Amino acid sequence: MRWSTSVSIFLVIAGLWQMSEGGYIKAKALLAQHLLQSAWQESLSGKKRVVPWPWADTWPVARMEIERLGIDQIVLEGSSGRSLAFAPGHIAGTAPLGGLGNSAVSGHRDTHFRFLQYLEPGDQIKITPATGETLMYAVITGEVHDKQDTWVLDQSEDGLTLITCYPFDALIPGGPERFVIRAIPVSQNKLMKSVLL
Amino acid sequence: MENQKQINQLGRDMLFTSLASLLAGMVTALLLGLLVFIWSNSVAAAESDSHSSYQRTSVEEVKRGALLMNLASGGMAVDAPLLDTDVEMVISGMMARVVVKQQFKNPSQEWVEGTYVFPLPEDAAVDRMRLRIGERFIEGEIQEKAQAKKTYEKARREGRKASLLSQERPNIFTTAVANIAPGEMVQVEIEYQLTLHYDQGGFRLRFPLVVAPRYIPGTPIGPSEVVAFQGNGWASDTTQVPDASRITPPVVDPAEGAINPVHINIRLDAGMPLEKLESIYHPITVQQDETGIYHVSLQQGSVPAERDFELHWVPHIEAAPHAALFTEQWDNSGYALLMVMPPANQQATTNPLPREVIYVIDTSGSMHGESIIQAREALKLALQRLAPTDRFNVIQFNHQTDALFPQAVEANARNLKWATKYVNGLIADGGTEMLPALKLALRQTTEKGVLRQVVFLTDGSVGNEQALFKLIHEQLGESRLFTIGIGSAPNSFFMTRAAEFGRGTFTYIGKVEEVGEKMAALFAKLETPILTNITVQWPDGQSVEMWPSRVPDLYAGEPIVLAVKMQKPAKQLTITGQVADNAWKQQVLLKGGAVESGVHLLWARRKIAELMNEKARGRDESKVRDEVLAVALSHKLVSQYTSLVAVDKTPSRPVDDAFNSKAVPTNLPKGWSAEKVFGTLPQTATASEINLLVGMFLLILAGALKWISRSRRSMKGDFQLVAGRS
Repeated sequence: MRWSTSVSIFLVIAGLWQMSEGGYIKAKALLAQHLLQSAWQESLSGKKRVVPWPWADTWPVARMEIERLGIDQIVLEGSSGRSLAFAPGHIAGTAPLGGLGNSAVSGHRDTHFRFLQYLEPGDQIKITPATGETLMYAVITGEVHDKQDTWVLDQSEDGLTLITCYPFDALIPGGPERFVIRAIPVSQNKLMKSVLL
Repeated sequence: MENQKQINQLGRDMLFTSLASLLAGMVTALLLGLLVFIWSNSVAAAESDSHSSYQRTSVEEVKRGALLMNLASGGMAVDAPLLDTDVEMVISGMMARVVVKQQFKNPSQEWVEGTYVFPLPEDAAVDRMRLRIGERFIEGEIQEKAQAKKTYEKARREGRKASLLSQERPNIFTTAVANIAPGEMVQVEIEYQLTLHYDQGGFRLRFPLVVAPRYIPGTPIGPSEVVAFQGNGWASDTTQVPDASRITPPVVDPAEGAINPVHINIRLDAGMPLEKLESIYHPITVQQDETGIYHVSLQQGSVPAERDFELHWVPHIEAAPHAALFTEQWDNSGYALLMVMPPANQQATTNPLPREVIYVIDTSGSMHGESIIQAREALKLALQRLAPTDRFNVIQFNHQTDALFPQAVEANARNLKWATKYVNGLIADGGTEMLPALKLALRQTTEKGVLRQVVFLTDGSVGNEQALFKLIHEQLGESRLFTIGIGSAPNSFFMTRAAEFGRGTFTYIGKVEEVGEKMAALFAKLETPILTNITVQWPDGQSVEMWPSRVPDLYAGEPIVLAVKMQKPAKQLTITGQVADNAWKQQVLLKGGAVESGVHLLWARRKIAELMNEKARGRDESKVRDEVLAVALSHKLVSQYTSLVAVDKTPSRPVDDAFNSKAVPTNLPKGWSAEKVFGTLPQTATASEINLLVGMFLLILAGALKWISRSRRSMKGDFQLVAGRS
């Protein structure tokens, strides 16, 4: 076989492998949202901690909708790499979604939370917690912070904080900056004192 | 159960669905990936105009001055006082007298007040504090805590030098020094008496060097505003830990380098020939003089205050003590410290009972790094030691509790394999909500004739100790609680006291290499029968006050240690106990013994500890307080209700000069990760796009190569055609 043929076969294989790695991440992020729907329906019927598949260490805690951008996502508990591959994750230790305090949710900047860059002040975010009433939040700010700035998770004020990596179009993951969206509750429904997980 | 079944059913459905979609995903990944990529980029391009007006403020770069220190706990320490600590220990037999000298240096151009939160051994009887200004010493006075604080604050306002030593927890203390002039150095000397622990044939002395950041559960109360000497900590007070801000000093970022150097010098008069003398975590130099006394110092001169110092010495087997007695006459009463070692052959008999062992492992953020590795190793060793007749379960907790099995299962090969896999997969992250985990571990009940043991692996970095003690006391039942302290600076007050309430023992593992040895010692305790129902009989007509009032159960290798106050000297006493079904009895003659000063302090310290335990068990606090006050004030001991305060007679600061209050920052314990304790925002990007780009680039490259080689080949073909014709 000619050297050019073997090199190009190698290049094709390597190229396909890289494409499918990347595609797999994107596809998993898209498909998982559909898979999560049935676990979400179970959760809505009053069951707690419905794991979407037996080896999962996470469960749906809320549904997040933004009408203007056509966003409809299920939020999972915990922000470990494993759960973020499937859905945005509620950051452990912050107020539960729909609870009093500051609830923080993080998501990948190249999949679920790509839309964060298109949010504008005044955008309405609808949150349906697994237990409790639907709530509306309104976006007030979007800021860039360092990953060390954990005070953005401060619990002193009620609100919703969405976090993703920044800049959005950086190719190499692992940068130190985070894009942080702040939203405040605007609906009539009261936040619950505590939501049992 | 109902719920479980439904999850399983759902699980099976989900298994098929997700496997199918995983396959589908793989096959369509390429196409889909490409589509999504193209689509998302076009959307980005289309919408890029609409968000150009969007305001984004970036973090301001903060420049750092020479005396500013970045704090891992948030913010910066500005012109914080510098601290140097000198520790001198004199050890004789089973007792130690320790002098801790803290030098506060004010590097700033202003008058400051320095506060330093530091640990001492949980059973230290602190009875003396002196303030040294130049060549003058000002002796500290014991006062009721609130009164001492008033005395101190008055002095502070009047511009006098003053120091206040108060206890925040039995193992956390705070020194405050008021009115340190610009560039001046002031020294506070603290002294305490200590009983040494004798276990498994060796003596152990631990000197904690740093207060590890504690997890503060509960919801915040009030504004987290920092007021001078209301505590300068990084945590604000919460419902569960109302003094949180006082026990959480600022923590310097490890990247800044370690601070607060400590020098340690020890004079060890063991009273018997030694087999071994070692420092577990710090290199030391040892010199023995002609009288047989060892002089120990740190090899490096000083160490940063970031991990506990531990000295361990083992007497020759023949010289190992079977009993020891120290006496003192103080204030018209006789005091004695008595140690009796039950004969070893009494302990290892009878068939072991089947056991049910619940392993509880802390997987909170403070366990990240070295600690979780130690814990995993220890836990795997423990699993290997289970007999097939035993039952077991593994519970992990951070801010959530998770049990491996719904209830304890047989220790068969299959279950053990599951458990080992589970343990290998444990990662440390999140908060430390210990209550639910302990509740779960203690809740399950067992049949009769089964030993139920809860083995608890944690660094104990929590601030709500009292609530946990109360739970253990109330829910223990027939279970026994064994605590294993992990990491370079565990909260040993919590762990020893928890084991005491849980009628078990405390084991400390400071580094991975120790796991095997320390766990083997613990297994010996877990597997051999215990000496129970220990009672001490005194001769008739002898009135004694003895602490502990009820002798706890003893495990293999542990001695009985009693602190006694007697009206008149007693001649002998009888100790009886029970090993499984056999009775054990020993007569002890109270003759001879070494006269040592400070025995009364050890007695008083034990009495206070027991009174505080009664409070945890639910006794009325005001009554406990009165009794503790009586003991602490008469023996001059620092306690939860008393503090030592020293005030200079002459004012040194002109009253109208400005005055600042600064906390001395502390180190993070060795091996701890600041990111895991104080956290960072989550990592939220994948390599998907670079994958797609690289892939696309490679495909284009392949195409280009193919094209080049084809065009070359066709050129060659033309030549061949020409050649054939001729």
